[in-house]
Amino acid sequence: MDLTGTAASAGIGIGRVVVVEEPTLDYVSRTVEDTAAETERFNAAIASYVDYTNGQAQTMRETVGEKEAEILTGHVVMISDPYMQGEMVKLIEAGMCAEDALVQICDMFASMFEATGDELTMQRATDVRDVKTGVLAELLNKRPVDMGALPLDSIVVTHDLTPSMTAGIRPGAVAGVVTETGGLTSHSAILARAMEIPAVLSVPGSCHKLADGELVIVDGSKGTIVVEPDEATLEQARADQAAFAAERAELAKFIGCRTTTASGEAVELFANIGKPDDATQAMERDAEGVGLFRTEFLFMDSTSMPTEEEQFEAYKKAALICKNKPLIIRTLDIGGDKEIPYLGLEKEDNPFMGFRAVRFCLAREDIYRAQLRALLRASAFGEIRIMVPLVTCVDELTAVKALIKRYMQEFDQEGIAYNPDIQIGVMVETPAAAVVADLLAEEADFFSIGTNDLTGYTMCADRGNDKVRYLYSTYNPAVLRSIKRIIEAGNEAGILVGMCGEAAADPTLIPMWIAFGLGEYSVSATSVLATRKAISLWTKEEACALADKVMQLKTASDVYEALQEAVR
Amino acid sequence: MFSEKVTLVNPQGFHMRPASLLVAEVGKFESTVKIIRNGNEIPGNSLMAIMAAGIKCGEEIEVQAEGADEEAAGRAVVDFIASGMGD
Repeated sequence: MDLTGTAASAGIGIGRVVVVEEPTLDYVSRTVEDTAAETERFNAAIASYVDYTNGQAQTMRETVGEKEAEILTGHVVMISDPYMQGEMVKLIEAGMCAEDALVQICDMFASMFEATGDELTMQRATDVRDVKTGVLAELLNKRPVDMGALPLDSIVVTHDLTPSMTAGIRPGAVAGVVTETGGLTSHSAILARAMEIPAVLSVPGSCHKLADGELVIVDGSKGTIVVEPDEATLEQARADQAAFAAERAELAKFIGCRTTTASGEAVELFANIGKPDDATQAMERDAEGVGLFRTEFLFMDSTSMPTEEEQFEAYKKAALICKNKPLIIRTLDIGGDKEIPYLGLEKEDNPFMGFRAVRFCLAREDIYRAQLRALLRASAFGEIRIMVPLVTCVDELTAVKALIKRYMQEFDQEGIAYNPDIQIGVMVETPAAAVVADLLAEEADFFSIGTNDLTGYTMCADRGNDKVRYLYSTYNPAVLRSIKRIIEAGNEAGILVGMCGEAAADPTLIPMWIAFGLGEYSVSATSVLATRKAISLWTKEEACALADKVMQLKTASDVYEALQEAVR
Repeated sequence: MFSEKVTLVNPQGFHMRPASLLVAEVGKFESTVKIIRNGNEIPGNSLMAIMAAGIKCGEEIEVQAEGADEEAAGRAVVDFIASGMGD
């Protein structure tokens, strides 16, 4: 019986299962006669919780890092609040037991935090509940399991990996983690990644399906768990584990480095994201910003039009995660190929050449207004840049800029903050935009080349169509010339030219982009370090020599062969 | 009693960090400090109560201080809020 779940922390763990059950914190409510003694019991529990948590924070600071330890010191700060403690004691003095008083006041604050509508405070509601659980464990004398005592190469199987559980883990002792709940951005996932422990999350019933002592392989890259593998499978897993470790060690050298070519030209290396939470992983993987935040999810995951307020919260959330690093947000890129009833998009014979993206948005100002206003308001919270998709002519860009200017004037009157110098750029992905790139560059603050659509539109080939897929290739001279032209036009005008398609991370094409003078690469979060490495392997001179040769070739297959041969 | 109105200017309002800093500021004085918002009193020494109130950028609140050093305490808190609370 093998299990699958969410691949939350990459790598392969081989070891024996230890099912870690959280102590149950059930208790019987009662009324108290001796309220002075109950208050004393309550104060002692808090003192003991503070002591214990501070100790764990110290361990975490040493084994994981300052940022993770701050979660725990935050818990101490919260429970030390004299007003909150006072409210609890008042209830105890009125005859309530300490457990009830604690639960009632913590739950009250947690729900108040959730009701503020402020993203940062709302997230803290989880911490209030952690504090509640922690103090409750003290009152009931049931501290969480000591993870420090686990045997080497344990595979921890638990309902949910909490920060207080994680704090005790010794590096090396835990080979893998399996949980029943939690997604890619849960505490469990973030902590497992920070400690580089392979983790598969959201495996329902895993605490019962796996038994203590069973040998398992946890593949945190694929999200699979193999139970009692045969010798051949185990052998393969050991080989994969070694290869993964070697690759990770190699890429680790590039963490915290600037992204430069071998001859020292600096470029920017960003990540593509689809949801605000994805920015967390992008930052963990050392991206220098976000080069493409697709906003479609807001519209696809909803049954009615997302309001300006909802969009504002989502953009602001991403901006706060990115701190002050650039965050390029693409406005709605949707057309008749998607079924979103409330948008009233009609089915079209050829949606990819039809009423979509900026064309749709400019015709439906009611929809675009909410998005652009939300983006402008969120720009007060970070380095947000606005990117307009599917631009084919200068008029479209000037029309968007005029709208933005009008909304800025509205905000001036309403007294709402925004960044007046917000950059507005073009996603260059149509042959028309490539041909008039010099004209667009005079109006745009930046370019980002969308190589996926640019390739499809330039070659007039749908990559989903088996019969014409052979034409869909960035190696075609037509596509390479187009990209070269766009980059040169942007550089000529002195604006940043980036690339946010899959080709930006392709090690065979990277020397071409270096030669053309690409200024920013935006790739998937998992490709950031590998791309930084690939860029570092070429001097500008070497890349230009290769590009000169390649640009003389006449066919995509010749180009592919030449680049494949040269790849580093 | 010291009493003065002040407008919140830091864009993110009272989340945990500025709220902690404010409580630390209040803790430097003997006086009791309160924040009055829409008629509700929020104790100035309570991080949790200040966060739970969810006071947002642009809102006007009133700072009250009462005690031996009320003038200095109130002034310090008002100045701290008006300065953007380190955000």
